[in-house]
Amino acid sequence: MQENLPCESLFTPTIIHYDRPIMTHQIDPKLLDILVCPLTKVPLRYDAARQELISDQAKLAYPIRDGIPVMLVEEARTIKE
Amino acid sequence: MYQRYSKIKQSHSKENKNPESQWFGEKPVTPDEKTGLVIDVFDSVADRYDLMNDLMSAGVHRLWKDQFVRQIRPRAEYTYLDVGGGTGDIAFRIRKATGAGPQITVCDLNGEMLRVGRNRATDRGWLNDFEWVVGNADSLPVPDESVDVYTIAFCLRNVTKIDDALAEAYRVLKPGGRFFCLEFSHVADPLLAKLYDAYSYRVIPKVGQIVTKDRDSYQYLVESIRKFPNQKALERRMYGAGFGRVRVKNLSFGIAAIHEGWKL
Repeated sequence: MQENLPCESLFTPTIIHYDRPIMTHQIDPKLLDILVCPLTKVPLRYDAARQELISDQAKLAYPIRDGIPVMLVEEARTIKE
Repeated sequence: MYQRYSKIKQSHSKENKNPESQWFGEKPVTPDEKTGLVIDVFDSVADRYDLMNDLMSAGVHRLWKDQFVRQIRPRAEYTYLDVGGGTGDIAFRIRKATGAGPQITVCDLNGEMLRVGRNRATDRGWLNDFEWVVGNADSLPVPDESVDVYTIAFCLRNVTKIDDALAEAYRVLKPGGRFFCLEFSHVADPLLAKLYDAYSYRVIPKVGQIVTKDRDSYQYLVESIRKFPNQKALERRMYGAGFGRVRVKNLSFGIAAIHEGWKL
């Protein structure tokens, strides 16, 4: 009987990282309304899988690190076609 | 020899705008170098930045910031953009003054400073009240005419291209929007200026060395204050960027000053 109890999950302490947002892979949808590409000043597209904000015109992908978008051209990945 | 001289002269006359871009404190640098060096300074002091400010200014920077936010007369229905306020000092004061509701974006060149700010917001129970964004003041990732109040406190001095930053502030403000800058400035009274000079050149880098083990960063801060345009000069450059009704208010005899301007 005892073997079936999910003891491990019950008694393993949960580690809460206070230095991280609770949902690391969710960005605030408001961000897309208030941010534009710093180069072209046009709206951005969110790539959830890669955690990037895409500026199609400039062909740049801005990384989201630890939930914070990094809107610097120097830090952006150039998108090749 | 002459050629070299004329080249330098040319590059200076071309760079009529943004003259600060070629100075890192009192070291001459290129604009690209400056941005990188400024990121390094704040990387190295992020954790103890506020403590250091308290020690350096004997807590007075808090009073300046209080005064700064009072002058804004914040309201909950405004949209705010705080530039260079990574640790949240200005954003939190605005949030405290308005209560829940305002849209506040904090934009800083340095991700470490933003993380410190976000952790502090979480500690205050303000988990979703701010947007934290890494960005450069001279090319903001913010739409045209989307902001009611633009604030920049103790940051413009570190911006590589001040005139570009002012132009960007003007661009993102809605018509009728206001610009507020709090920055170290220049003491007019010659005797006080001498005392202040002695204090800042001798005491501040030493305190910096003891508290953050990083004398160079604070040496930079002191030198960057010297290089920053004085009250009148900054006022002129704000008019140059398009702002109207520019007002200057000195704090503590001009050790710091608030510049306010309207996009009319």
